[in-house]
Amino acid sequence: MDSHNRDLYLYEALNARVLGVSMDDVITNKFFAKAFWLDFPLVSNPLAWMGKQYGAYSDKKPFLPDGSVNNFGRRTVVVDKRGIVRYIKDGSPDNKEILSLLLKLEKEFRGK
Amino acid sequence: MEKKSAIRLSLGIWVAFFALTGLLLGGCATMAPEKPKIMIPTDRGTVFFLDKYEFKAPVGWSLMRNLEGGDFELGFMKMEPGAFPSQTTFMYDEEPYGSSPNLEGRANQYCTRFLFNSGIMPEVTKREKTRVMGLHALALYFEGENSVQKEKSKSKVYLVKKGNRIISFVCTQWRPLDGQFDIQAFEIFENFVQSFKFLKKTFYENLDEEIQKLKG
Repeated sequence: MDSHNRDLYLYEALNARVLGVSMDDVITNKFFAKAFWLDFPLVSNPLAWMGKQYGAYSDKKPFLPDGSVNNFGRRTVVVDKRGIVRYIKDGSPDNKEILSLLLKLEKEFRGK
Repeated sequence: MEKKSAIRLSLGIWVAFFALTGLLLGGCATMAPEKPKIMIPTDRGTVFFLDKYEFKAPVGWSLMRNLEGGDFELGFMKMEPGAFPSQTTFMYDEEPYGSSPNLEGRANQYCTRFLFNSGIMPEVTKREKTRVMGLHALALYFEGENSVQKEKSKSKVYLVKKGNRIISFVCTQWRPLDGQFDIQAFEIFENFVQSFKFLKKTFYENLDEEIQKLKG
């Protein structure tokens, strides 16, 4: 998360906006954002519909057999200006890869 | 007689098989691309690290590389005499923790997470403005201990403002609580930092240029 915050000026320069989504409630997200000095919005999605839509939430019961919570997996999704998903990656985000893609998309958009 | 000739024939097949395998493997060995050397010595007493950096590499220290991205770009480690954990590590990290683009703000954020997982709560014993590679920098000195694990640490961190980004050099020495810190290791770290040069533009500098071109 702090890496996205660090690169926020670049995302903005490339006309991209960052949105974090978690199943935590609004208050928890508020404290999380404060603890990590986050300057981009965090969306609270306890009913997990966004996670399902973007494939970050496995279609299982809320509690897994080992007792752990069926939470969102860590997934990065880039959606372009037409609403088309252009990038999906699970695990830790690769900011350089994301920024390179955004540069390519911006060039594509500007016809350069 | 028939049995002997059968053995001879069988041996012949095996010899031919091994010779063929040897030839094939030999062919593979010569065809495999040669791995590029990570550090190439220069006549200035420094090394080129890949084609990216030049610095004075410490003699007798192990090279550490991050294979999965993340915490640091490159570093060195030395196991030292004494009970565990007697060792020193230092590294160059192009993405130090935090997101503030100014040195003071970044230092405040950085200090909240430094050695976060070790159970040591290091205190900043000194904080001073300085220059590294001719760039504005902040030197942070830390010391801390974990009385449960019976270990202590001493660190020096440089946060350096490079263009729009902040990069860092970090040295941490670990000792058992009753151990003595070794200042010489920090001098080796200083040599590394003071000799450090970038041989080409970083990803972020190139990206900045590309963005400027797009906007221009």
